[in-house]
Amino acid sequence: MTSNSSSKKQAQDPPESSEPTLKSLRTKMTKSDEKKKLKDIEISVPLVYGNIAFWLGKKASEYQSHKWAVYVRGATNEDISVVIKKVVFQLHSSFNNPTRVIEEPPFEVSESGWGEFEIAITLHFHSDVCDKPLSLYHHLKLYPEDESGPLTMKKPVVVEHYDEIVFPDPSESFLARVQNHPALTFPRLPSGYNLPAPMQVDDNGKKKRGDTKDHSLGQWFTSFSEADELLQLAAARQQVQAHIAKLRRQISLLEGQNQTIKTGSDP
Amino acid sequence: MGGTDAKDILGLPKTPLSLTQEKKSRPQKESHRKPDGISREVYALTGGVAPLMPSIDVTHLKRRPPPDEKVAWQWLPVKSSARNDDLQLYHWVRVVNDVPPSADYSFAKYNKSVDVLKYTDDEYENHLTDPVWTKEETDQLFELCERFDLRFTVIADRFPLSRTVEELKDRYYSVTRALLRATAQSPSELANHPLMKEPYDMTRDRERKRALSMVLSQSRHQEKKDAEILAEAKRITEMRLAARRAAEPDVPANENIGSVSPSSNSQLPATAVAPSTLTMADYTSTLASLRMLHVYLRTYGLEQMVQAASSAVGLRTIKRVEQTLQDLGVNLKPKVPTKTVCDEHLELRKEILTLLNLQKQLQYKESEGSSHREGTYAAMPDTPKDRVFASEPFSFGGERPIKKEQKRKGPGRQSDTPSPAHKRPRKMKASDL
Repeated sequence: MTSNSSSKKQAQDPPESSEPTLKSLRTKMTKSDEKKKLKDIEISVPLVYGNIAFWLGKKASEYQSHKWAVYVRGATNEDISVVIKKVVFQLHSSFNNPTRVIEEPPFEVSESGWGEFEIAITLHFHSDVCDKPLSLYHHLKLYPEDESGPLTMKKPVVVEHYDEIVFPDPSESFLARVQNHPALTFPRLPSGYNLPAPMQVDDNGKKKRGDTKDHSLGQWFTSFSEADELLQLAAARQQVQAHIAKLRRQISLLEGQNQTIKTGSDP
Repeated sequence: MGGTDAKDILGLPKTPLSLTQEKKSRPQKESHRKPDGISREVYALTGGVAPLMPSIDVTHLKRRPPPDEKVAWQWLPVKSSARNDDLQLYHWVRVVNDVPPSADYSFAKYNKSVDVLKYTDDEYENHLTDPVWTKEETDQLFELCERFDLRFTVIADRFPLSRTVEELKDRYYSVTRALLRATAQSPSELANHPLMKEPYDMTRDRERKRALSMVLSQSRHQEKKDAEILAEAKRITEMRLAARRAAEPDVPANENIGSVSPSSNSQLPATAVAPSTLTMADYTSTLASLRMLHVYLRTYGLEQMVQAASSAVGLRTIKRVEQTLQDLGVNLKPKVPTKTVCDEHLELRKEILTLLNLQKQLQYKESEGSSHREGTYAAMPDTPKDRVFASEPFSFGGERPIKKEQKRKGPGRQSDTPSPAHKRPRKMKASDL
């Protein structure tokens, strides 16, 4: 239907303006195609967030017993500032300036204190990514799990959580800007779908490296792998499915038996 | 201070290990000075710390009357404007400085009454005649109305002829309205009278009372059914709204489900998952609502989908699903929630639901069978604690898990339900026949 109306247009318009009509025809078609194809695309950014806390030992005072850092990083230590514009850490009100805004990677806040409390971490994205911020919550942990053990200055208490930010319907400009970036999982685009070239000039040389691969605390980072969990899930599913098949067999057997009994016991 | 004494007795460490937010701001303010007005022990009962919101102002606690007043109590007669007879009653009065209180009896202000209009005989003849009501009846009605302050249930009881409450109300209000219309000075002041603005409608009153009694007498079963129907209707409208907004009109709901669970289709021919159409609608609407957010955490998305899957089942089933997951050695919330992991997790949950459904079906079939037989096969209904997979370490890679289950005879963790141990061998017999 679209082609019919635009072909009519082509016939009616004078030849000089055939170019713009051809263009408009193309954009019309690509737009409707784009809408169809963009439906199942999602971009996800794997993140790790948490805290590291060191006991200060001899230098500990009553109100400054630990030195800790709360942070958000890419799960593979890649630079997430391609997606995240700034991170706001809301600390306990007893801290000076409890609202810490971090606008450059690494997105972390280091402090010293004595108390454990909940920290609200709000991620703000670039304007072409998403307007709405996303909030995470992390309970700051300073003391190790077994409370009776002695505190040690050597090993810090590390609590990290893995999660992923999901963008269910990314805009074209977003897709164009981040294609091939290692910090996120880029979806497989449908064949024939061409993204325009990224408009921004890459000034990676000028900006600081935003990844956390060489982070000073990197030795304590946890490495999350989905392999173990997938194995577990696959094994569990296999068992459940086998059990289901068995039950189905039993049920059909019983149904057969019930039939014969019914016909048998009728007087 | 009482606080540290108590801690000593209980053997608790004196320095706090982990304090909540409120306590953090408090260490300096632990007042060593008790406030005036209450004794030290009483104050220590509250923990030695002032309450967050003072319920009683401390200065009120031991306030004594100023010493220059002379207070005496006297037995004096009551003067009340509410009484219009000559009965003389007495009571105790607090007299200050020999001056008795001069105000009216304090409860007299509650003696409210209704202005019941009175009509003359002429007015009755002109405006108020009614085929059903005689003048005597109307007079009696009005007298009762005045006596009982328009409490129609009482009036109905005392009315000499048997009339329903609605009829009495109707008559009273129409008479008053007619009187108002007749004696009104101007139509504007009439329009503001509450009786004219909302005239009494007898049929509506009857309907309302009938509906109310129906609602009150609804059985619990009926209530549950109504709630279910409402929830279903809400879900359907939400789904329609979401589908209209998010997806294109020609895409059927199944395609969305297909994209979410790509792995399950290849494994079983007759798909293990056989959810009702209602659950399918739940998934679509959840997906649509997630899309509307534009950004969300994958753990949040998984939670929503799990909720959608569990929306059609009861709490007990949900607990059984979680128990089964634990027995299988699967984390209730995945530690590494990537897309594949979350999809697999959701599929597993769905399959467990199917499994539980099948178990229930099997029980019904068994009990059907036993009602026909003589009793060689007494099937007992499953207790809720019956568990399919005891928490033994299952190796990855599935080394013939079926056989392992068959061999397992001991109750393991099922020490509280002896029946499963007996049931297993019997079930085998039935299938081997």
